[in-house]
Amino acid sequence: MKCIIPGTNIKVFGKAIHSLSKIGEELYLEPLEHGLALRTVNAARSAYGCFIFAPEFFYHYDNSSEATEGGEIEDVEETFKCKIQMKSVLAVFRSLSTLERSVDRCKITLDEGPRLVFQLYCKHSITKTYNLTFQECETLQAVFSKDLCPNAITAQAKLLTDVVQNFQLSLEEITLIVSPEKVILKNYVESEPDPSKVLHTQMSLAAEEFDYFQIGVDTELTFCLKELRAILAFAEAAGMPLSLHFETSGKPIVFSLEGDPAFDSNFVMATLADLGSTQGSQSSQQAISRAGTSTVGTSKTKRTVKRTQQQENKRNESEMMENRRLQENRQPNRSCAGGESFLPMDSGFDDMMNDGMDDVIAMGANEMEAALSQETAPQRNGALKHEASPERSASPEIPLELGKRPRSQYPEEKLTSHDQSHDDVSMVMEEEVEEELVPGTPPSKRFRSMFFGISSQSQATQAPAPAEKAEVLCEDTDDED
Amino acid sequence: MSLATQQGDDDDNNILVAKVDNARNISNILKAIHFRDTATVFASSNGLKVTVEESKCVQANAFIQAGVFQEYTIRQDSATFKVNLTVLLECLTIFGSSSAPGMNTALKMCYAGYGSPLQLLLEEGGVLTDCSIKTMEPDEMLDFGFSSANVENKVIMKSECLREAWSELDMTSEVLQILMSPDKPYFRLSTFGYAGSIHADYPKDSDMVESFQCEQTQTNRYKLSLLKPSVKALSLSCKISIRTDHRGFLSLQYMVRNEDGQVSFVEYYCCPDEDVEE
Repeated sequence: MKCIIPGTNIKVFGKAIHSLSKIGEELYLEPLEHGLALRTVNAARSAYGCFIFAPEFFYHYDNSSEATEGGEIEDVEETFKCKIQMKSVLAVFRSLSTLERSVDRCKITLDEGPRLVFQLYCKHSITKTYNLTFQECETLQAVFSKDLCPNAITAQAKLLTDVVQNFQLSLEEITLIVSPEKVILKNYVESEPDPSKVLHTQMSLAAEEFDYFQIGVDTELTFCLKELRAILAFAEAAGMPLSLHFETSGKPIVFSLEGDPAFDSNFVMATLADLGSTQGSQSSQQAISRAGTSTVGTSKTKRTVKRTQQQENKRNESEMMENRRLQENRQPNRSCAGGESFLPMDSGFDDMMNDGMDDVIAMGANEMEAALSQETAPQRNGALKHEASPERSASPEIPLELGKRPRSQYPEEKLTSHDQSHDDVSMVMEEEVEEELVPGTPPSKRFRSMFFGISSQSQATQAPAPAEKAEVLCEDTDDED
Repeated sequence: MSLATQQGDDDDNNILVAKVDNARNISNILKAIHFRDTATVFASSNGLKVTVEESKCVQANAFIQAGVFQEYTIRQDSATFKVNLTVLLECLTIFGSSSAPGMNTALKMCYAGYGSPLQLLLEEGGVLTDCSIKTMEPDEMLDFGFSSANVENKVIMKSECLREAWSELDMTSEVLQILMSPDKPYFRLSTFGYAGSIHADYPKDSDMVESFQCEQTQTNRYKLSLLKPSVKALSLSCKISIRTDHRGFLSLQYMVRNEDGQVSFVEYYCCPDEDVEE
């Protein structure tokens, strides 16, 4: 892959990296036919950001790995993708004002070579070369669909920035309440300590304030503010209106910047699941659905097995079945997520992650709990908070639940999407599966719990697990070829 | 020693008397070498040389020529004393270091000889401050033996273009590698940190490079932690001369222009980290 960013676009590119850096610790870079994708996900996997810079954005854009200058590299059917530490890239684009002033063009080269190379050609013929270490990885892709969301609003970034500025910097989550007449933003207050002793801030915006306003379902969503600020910082700098697509609580909200042909960006954030609401009917189309509720009915079926496994002996069996299924599908998708998780990104690690997820589930998503609690009651880890308060659960961790649900819920869809999956990946999966399952007998509970504990950790720390293209569960997702 | 004995009263008793209309001319240049608390001052008829050393590996000198002072009198061939540089700078900027036009701090500096304190008399807008800073036994200074006869490569460039590079050096790298070569890439600064390697190349025909005299390719590494303090000098200077001798010793000379348009020099010497095996 080789591309050259003209000096006039450096700032936008740098800004994009700055905003992504406020979300995740690692930057996933993937050259696609229709543009260079920069993506990131936070450690909790509750927020995902993606920019796709179209070929028009560049002086020169060549996404093929074989076509690089000499053309000596073997033809590879898929493009080479990688992830790098956000800190490293940030070093390249640290001072945006300096970049804008002094850089004529920036060349990014990614080959099978050991380094991802950023070359800044500055004024006075000075050249700065950053040879950054990277890791190969699979595609990171959140599964979401904007089109099917009943609610969509578009606002100038300035408007939202002004509103958000009224909240304390330390505030973690913000609640968005929409109705056909207005939008209310308020700080999210947890039930403890005493909500009556906490500062409440609330702001109301009339529908007329928005460029576009379509509310199909009244709802109330709670999501992280920090990431929203990062998005707004970019949107405001770019002077572009920000569109919000969302459904109901527990389902992800999508922020997107459209309108500039040179790039496209989407941010997906998990929202806090609200136990009180009945969202039984999940839109099956959307990969992101909230698993909890819907599964209740089907819980006995194999699909839902995962959760059930947790406590009962049959777990293993069920798990095996799951795995089987996976193998067949080849696609490990654990995409999405339940209410709160929408990121299907993992590939190889899925198995582990899945297991981990069960714990996670515990965290609080109430809906799920309700559904799950019957089956899952005793959690394997014991540490789990399954029993957690029936009320809303703490938002921060929610995201972890990612993968599991979707599987169970949308198996068919997956199948279809899987077809595209790469064989190699699936192989990996199988291996892993085997490792776990080999014994054929269920591992002792104790072992299990340790394992899960670990896996859940790994999930958190390795958030960057490679994702596969194929993972994408639904057709709606964008950048698949 | 008590203040009584360290009293310098008349100009007659002082072996060094220096007056300047704008104390910032002195304080700014001292800031360029302020990376340790103590400095050794060497006064001669040419002016003052203030030296700071670190780890026996790096030495910074600030030269303040006699011409920078409106009045400069020394009654001995030379005088040497050690003084707390932090305190000296605090005194010099006691009226604030901002450069409001027309508000200059006038300075009279006196030293009565070995064992005497350094006396500062500062005045701004009719307000007088009297400072007495105790002096200490001078340390023996390192002699880097850097002679211009042994200089192999020399580059003179505008500080401006190095400033950014220097302030953004990847501090996870232990060393800064300086390559000077008659061929491409001519002049290259490299760091090798956790994130990977970073190179900044300055071609010899860049308009930032004023003079480029390289006889042979030289690659030397210097401890980044030792060089980092020189960023202060870099930020004050308008030009920098980078020289290396046959042993790989590095000399960085900074030309600092003060508010009155006079030129002073700051110099850093640094010994190489190791021989590069290539």
